[in-house]
Order: sequence, then C-alpha cells, then structure tokens
Amino acid sequence: MNRALPEMLQSSDMTVLERQRARLKWQAEQFQQQNYFSELSGVFSSQTGHVQGFQQGCLMSRGGARGDSVLSDMAMTRQLKHEPGLETAWQGLGKVDMEFAPCGYGSGPSFDMNHAISRTSSCPPAVAAAAAVGSKAVKGNSLKMGSTVGRVSFKKRKVEKSQNTEVVAEDESKRIKASEEERESKITGSSTHRNSTDKKENSGDTSKLDYIHVRARRGQATDSHSLAERVRREKISERMKYLQDLVPGCNKITGKAGMLDEIINYVQSLQRQVEFLSMKLATVNPSLDFNIENLYVKEVLPSCTTNFPPVGMAPEMENHSPYLQFNPIQQVVSGCGMEMGTNSCDMALRRTISAPVSIPEASFLDTSCFTDMQQIQPSAAWDVELQNLYNVEFPGSIEASGLKMEMEMEM
Amino acid sequence: MDLQNLNPSSLKSRFTARFLRALTEINAPKTISSSSPREIFQRYRRIKVAADKSMAYSVRSRRIWSRATLWRLRTRSRSRRLVSFGRRASVKTRTTASHGKENKEHHGAVLGVQAEELRELVPGGEAMDLCNLLDETAHYIKCLTTQGFCVYMGGLLCEGCC
Repeated sequence: MNRALPEMLQSSDMTVLERQRARLKWQAEQFQQQNYFSELSGVFSSQTGHVQGFQQGCLMSRGGARGDSVLSDMAMTRQLKHEPGLETAWQGLGKVDMEFAPCGYGSGPSFDMNHAISRTSSCPPAVAAAAAVGSKAVKGNSLKMGSTVGRVSFKKRKVEKSQNTEVVAEDESKRIKASEEERESKITGSSTHRNSTDKKENSGDTSKLDYIHVRARRGQATDSHSLAERVRREKISERMKYLQDLVPGCNKITGKAGMLDEIINYVQSLQRQVEFLSMKLATVNPSLDFNIENLYVKEVLPSCTTNFPPVGMAPEMENHSPYLQFNPIQQVVSGCGMEMGTNSCDMALRRTISAPVSIPEASFLDTSCFTDMQQIQPSAAWDVELQNLYNVEFPGSIEASGLKMEMEMEM
Repeated sequence: MDLQNLNPSSLKSRFTARFLRALTEINAPKTISSSSPREIFQRYRRIKVAADKSMAYSVRSRRIWSRATLWRLRTRSRSRRLVSFGRRASVKTRTTASHGKENKEHHGAVLGVQAEELRELVPGGEAMDLCNLLDETAHYIKCLTTQGFCVYMGGLLCEGCC
C-alpha cells in the first residue's frame, strides 16, 4: 500500500491534479495508519518550542524551510527539471517515508527518543520541501491550472498539516504518557504479546522453582488462589523461622501457636524491661550533670574503645567480683533494692560470655562492648556460674525478674 | 571476641545520641534532688517517652511500627493539650481503637488469638496482615533489645558518674 502511490505517480498517465489528490489521500492514509508518526512528531513537537516553530516554518515556507536538510536542497535543485523533477521529488518523498515507516516500526518496541526525533526532523522538511517542490513544479508545468491547483493543494496540505499539528498537540499530552504503551500495543502487538507471555512464563518458572508440583498457569482461578495461599504460607513460615532465631528459647518449640506465644512473651518482657530501666533511670538521675553526652558519644560511639567501660564498670567490677564467684543463681535472682542493679549487671556480664543464654535482662547486651571487661576479669569461676545459668529456665527467670520489677515499682 | 567498631550511623549510636539528648533535657531543669514518688513517676514517664520517641526517630518512617509510635506520641501530646478544650481527644482515641478492632475481625488468620495479642503488643499492628506483622515484630524485637541495652548503659553511666 505504501509503495502504490509512488509507482502510480511514476506513470505519466495521470494528470497533475489527479496526482496531487492521490498524494493527499495517501498522506491522509499515512497519517491515519501511522499513529507513531503523529506520536513521534507530537513527541518531537513537545520537545522544544523550537520544534513547533520549525513545523510552522515548514508549513509557511515554500521551499524556504528553516531546517534545510540535504533532501530539501536536492528537491529544490530538482524542481528546475519539470517532470522528472516532480517524479524524483515524489520518489524522494516516497523514499523518505518508506525509509521512515519500517524504521519506525522497527524502533517501536525499543523506543529511542533521539532516534525518532532525528527521523522526524528529517521527515517534515522533506515533506515540506516536497510540497513546496510539488507546488512549484506544478506551477512550472502549467501556469494557471497548476498554480491554482498548487495553491489549493498547498492550502489543503497546509490545513491538513495544521490540523495534524493540532491533533498532534492534543495528542501529545495524551500520548506522551502512554505513548510507549500505545506504540507497543498497536504496532508491536506481537512482540508485547510475546513479552506478556514471557512474563507469565517467568512467573510460572519462579513459582515452579518454589513449588515443583504446582502448575504455573495463571488462567485458572482455583490454581491462582491456591498458589497465592501457598506463597503466603511459605512467607509466613519463613518469617516464623527468622523469629525463631531471634527469640531465644524457641528452638525446642514446634508449631506456630506455641512459637507465637513465646514471641508474645518475649516482646512483653522486652517492653517491661525498658519500662523498668527507665524507671531506674528516673530514680537514680536527678543529681547528675550531664557531660555524659560528650563522654559517651565521643569516646564510645565512634569505636567501642576501652575508655568507657573502665570508667563505669571498673569500680562496680571490684565490688562484684566476690559476689560473682560465690553467690548462686537463686541469690542473684532474689536480691532486692540496689542488688537488683548488681544482679542485672552480673547477668549482663555473664551473658557476654555465653552467647545463647536465654535470660531476657541480659539478652540485650552486646558482646562487643564488654570485651574489655572480659579482659579485665576472666576467671574460671565464671564457668561455674555459666553452667548454672544455662540450667535456669526461661519462663522461670522471666517470672522472677518480673516479680523483681514489681517489687521495685512498689518501692 | 573481636572488638567491633561501632558504626556511627548504626541504630545503636543513633538511638543513644538522641536518647542522651532527651535525658539531658529532662534532667536539666531539676537541680534539686527530688525524691517524691510523684516526681519520680513523672520523670519516669518522660524518660520512657523519650526512649520510645528516640527509638522511633532512629528508625524514621521505614517501619510501620515506628510510624505508628510517632503518630501515637504526637496525638497523645496533642490530646493532652486539647483535653482542656473539649472532648475531641477522647473521641479520637475511641475511633482509632474501634477501627483497630474492626480490622482484627478482617484478618482472620489461622492463629487468630495469638495474632491479635501480637497486634496489640506491636504498635501499629492492628492494620497489618500476618505476614507483615511478623516482619514488623522481628524488627521491633531487634529495636527493643537495642533500646533496652542503650537505656541500661545510660543508667550505668549515670550510676558510675554519681
């Protein structure tokens, strides 16, 4: 269909008028069929105001187009020859459009803005030049009829182009957003269809990787529901496993309900712990001036240096070393008042040595910050205490510490 | 054990910095050592709020529970100011509570009871499905442990200094 017109035009049987009308029809068809052309030209026009001025220049000019491409020059030179010039101009136009069409189709799926713009930039001048050439050649051929026809045709073309640009201007706002999609949908329908099927296959493949026995077709409703359910369940079990690692003492428990209970207990105990510690802070604090921030932030935070622990801990360490070695766990737990602080301190110290100990108060302490204290007092006595610690049951310790907290609150 | 250099932008350092700043603000005006239980309780409330707030701010809005905590703290502070003006605050809290309950009914998981309990515990957990709830719980546990550790260390510091 695209090739029909130039071939038609080459035959000298048609009159000039018929040729022009045929050309107009062909152009209309081109503009209708080739949506991408309007899109691209719309894109092109949207890019810069200069572009629109350029297009208007194309409209207005009679061969005086601003974007003087080589083709327009060639067309201009060719117009001196009458019939062959017209033919070559038509051929040139046909060729340009012909070149443009398949390349436009080809570049549809992988839309390259610059690429398209360069092509559109080449097209309008060619069109304009051809129009100009056509009108001038027409005039050259036959004076009155040609000129009138030329003017009429040129006006028609002008109107059409203005309409087209208006349409383009309207379309650009709509189409720029969905331009790529439209292009893909209309022009490269097959390739997008392929893409969508590929996506389906990919999702099917991934789901096949997870569930070997599950079919991956998304068209069937029941399967999709069960698929989604299974995916959800897998996610939940994955997260439960992660929580199991996070919450100490969950390794023995199997089953979601029991684990959730453990998790709930753990979260509650952590919250209570924070409350208790803040209460402790409130009781202890008032007579302090806080250069602590400087001390702490500068010295401890950039690197876990050895400065801080000796400052805060060394005196306590000296106080508690005999306590650590001699007191059994029960006494540790059943202290009261000031001893509670020491208890937590002790348990914290022990916690640092044993990684998987399941005692909530000590669990928050990070081993890294206490390596100094380890160096300060590594002793065999600690191992005995550690073994005792391991024997302490998790809920028991929570209850004991909970009781302790309540006692503290009351006090 | 290797000495781990604390990452200055880690959760711990962020939280500690904020928390210490809040602590200084809380303790600054009180030069007299006040031992009345009411004052102690007030200070306790403030410290607790400071701890929660600084933890939520350290996490920013990346997590649902942090956003919920921040929102809750802000609305509570606003509601306290508005109580004198009218009953708007109580209405607000009531609506949020009822909304939460409605959501609970929708999320009928296999483990309904425990999931509800967990939702009560984790801030902002009312409007989450079980999958996200577990995610949030894991992060919340991690942050709670960090919070406890930092508050504890702060307490030790204060004890050591006085």
